[in-house]
Amino acid sequence: MPSRRALSQKAPSPAAPSRKAPFLWLLEKEWRDLLVSRGWWVLLLAMGPVVGLSFLSAMRTYAEVSGLNGGAAGVGEALSPLIGVWAPTFSACELAAVFLLPFVAIRLVAGDRQSGALKLELQQGMPPIGLIAAKAIVALAGWILAMLPPLSALLLWKSYGGTLYAPELAALAGGHILNAALTIALGAAAAAVAEHPSTAAILTLGVTVGTWVLNFFAAVQGGWAERAASYTPEALVAEFQHGLVPLDAVLIALVLILTGLGLAAVWIRMGATARRRLIETAGIAALAVLAIYACSFARPSWDLSENRANSFPEADERALLRIHEPLSIEVHLAPEDPRRSDLEHRALSKLRRLLPDVRVSYVSATSIGLFEQTAAGYGEIRYTLGGRHTISRATTEEGVLEAIYSLAGVKPPEESDDAVYRGHPLAAEPKGAAMVFFALCPGLTLAAAILVKKRFS
Amino acid sequence: MFQVDGISKRYGELPALSGVSFHVRAGEVLGLIGPNGAGKTTLFECLAGLLPCDAGALRIDGRPATASERRNLLFYVPDSIAPWGAQRLAWAIDYALGFFGGRRDLREEITAQLDLGPLLRRPIAALSKGQRKRALLGIGLLAPQPALLIDEPFEGLDLRQTREVAAALRVHAARGRTLFLSIHQIADAGRICDRLVLLSGGHVRGEGTVAELAAQAAARGAAGALDSLEEVFLALT
Repeated sequence: MPSRRALSQKAPSPAAPSRKAPFLWLLEKEWRDLLVSRGWWVLLLAMGPVVGLSFLSAMRTYAEVSGLNGGAAGVGEALSPLIGVWAPTFSACELAAVFLLPFVAIRLVAGDRQSGALKLELQQGMPPIGLIAAKAIVALAGWILAMLPPLSALLLWKSYGGTLYAPELAALAGGHILNAALTIALGAAAAAVAEHPSTAAILTLGVTVGTWVLNFFAAVQGGWAERAASYTPEALVAEFQHGLVPLDAVLIALVLILTGLGLAAVWIRMGATARRRLIETAGIAALAVLAIYACSFARPSWDLSENRANSFPEADERALLRIHEPLSIEVHLAPEDPRRSDLEHRALSKLRRLLPDVRVSYVSATSIGLFEQTAAGYGEIRYTLGGRHTISRATTEEGVLEAIYSLAGVKPPEESDDAVYRGHPLAAEPKGAAMVFFALCPGLTLAAAILVKKRFS
Repeated sequence: MFQVDGISKRYGELPALSGVSFHVRAGEVLGLIGPNGAGKTTLFECLAGLLPCDAGALRIDGRPATASERRNLLFYVPDSIAPWGAQRLAWAIDYALGFFGGRRDLREEITAQLDLGPLLRRPIAALSKGQRKRALLGIGLLAPQPALLIDEPFEGLDLRQTREVAAALRVHAARGRTLFLSIHQIADAGRICDRLVLLSGGHVRGEGTVAELAAQAAARGAAGALDSLEEVFLALT
């Protein structure tokens, strides 16, 4: 019997294709599949106008608060370009990641099953995770190309005289790429599990709607739901939009991405029994739960925003770090009370980043707090430090710091004008932006689509 | 070359294969014949590892083949698929050669044998059923495995093409390639195959050359003339 090796060792003909690794062939095949994917071209086509709308709206607001047309001067202190322009501009990516990208990912996985290509490719011997990884890599590359319109907004901003701060922009773009990777993994898993792409699309959108429900539930109920909601893609993107890179959220996102791709690899394989697939699915889910639990203890986070939006002033941080006694804070505010949100975002989230051992507990009898207002103690924030207690109702950063300093007997640091973020006001009209986003981007996309169509037909 | 030993497969309550056993010899053209719904495709997919079987095994030298041994031994060309539809056939062949590690030295020869030259620049999705079948046969013949499982190799081909494809398959079998062909057109099977396995209702009803099968039918008391494979098939099933 001639062996496979013997059959393969004849000399190649001059016209033989290149001898690149099978995985590279697979990547090329997936790339070519992406190029003929209508979903991807629709995504590209939509990105320009959607980004344009966001950018123009954000630019006009930013210009007005920067003093354009006689507005108040100095408002730029309150609006950093990250919050004022880039977060809304890049939010188009979030929209596309929810409503368009899943279909691109689903097509890449489901297309091979429907055409029968999967029956051939699975015989190559490459582990199914290799097949899925190639699809995920190509889908992510396609997504990065789709992010060209928001990146071109950066060039326009620069041309208007705007200032860019690379670390916060890197955090923002990184957040959207991570979010896209999560969507791709989810789409791949759904396409592998479901027999038909439409079922996969329903599954994917179902999960997305599920995260929205969780966010709503968290806002109403607080507690464990609030903790779980902090790891949803929306929460992840929100943190990156503020220039914050929390290690726990990044690690959990990576675990979820690997879980999605792992599940896709389990379900795309054809020769395994349903029972074996279910056991492997349960195993992957159990590992993912353990990994997520372990990752939730990762404390480090990095504030990459230029205005240190997620941190106390440096002098306050130094003063707080000199306090070594355990600090606990009991907050008597209901989940839907807006003061609770103020307190959390303006002070407690910064405090947790600096003092990981601080214990914060929320106490409330109702979810909205409307009927608790008259209850004794409602609205109080009770601080305990080394056996000493104090009560405050202030939910501002300054109020919280003042309460902690007084309890610890620490002298508050002197305020310094040097540490104040002055912002980058830009009172400029977004000239030419409409042309770029509403004509040039769609035009170039259409031209590229026609060229590709010609090449493939 | 390998032995199919007691393979069984059920779809829910419906038995598709029941203890299917036979031998495949190196370098032969073995035909798997049976009516629609006999379990031919199910059997091929079980052998290729694309479908889990409930019982039985593919054996090499008497022991169950590992997944790796099976992959190195055989390549399955399914029927009714249109892989990589948007890609031109020339690229798809290059891809198959690169991805599966196929025989580059046979590219030109197989292209000529299956008359694929005029189709090379056309997308696979734009090929007719018969053209696509020839393209898939070409991809299969370029695969490096010594044994090929081909589901309905003549489906969609006209008479002339059927004869040309049969001749091409014969050339490769003569060089030592083992071909295991699932064919529902019994006359075609009789012309090209060295031996035959008769499958009906998920059971093997006979195995051997046409003469051996005729003898088996006669031994079972079949009445009438057994001078053609069709008659033998009807007698045994």
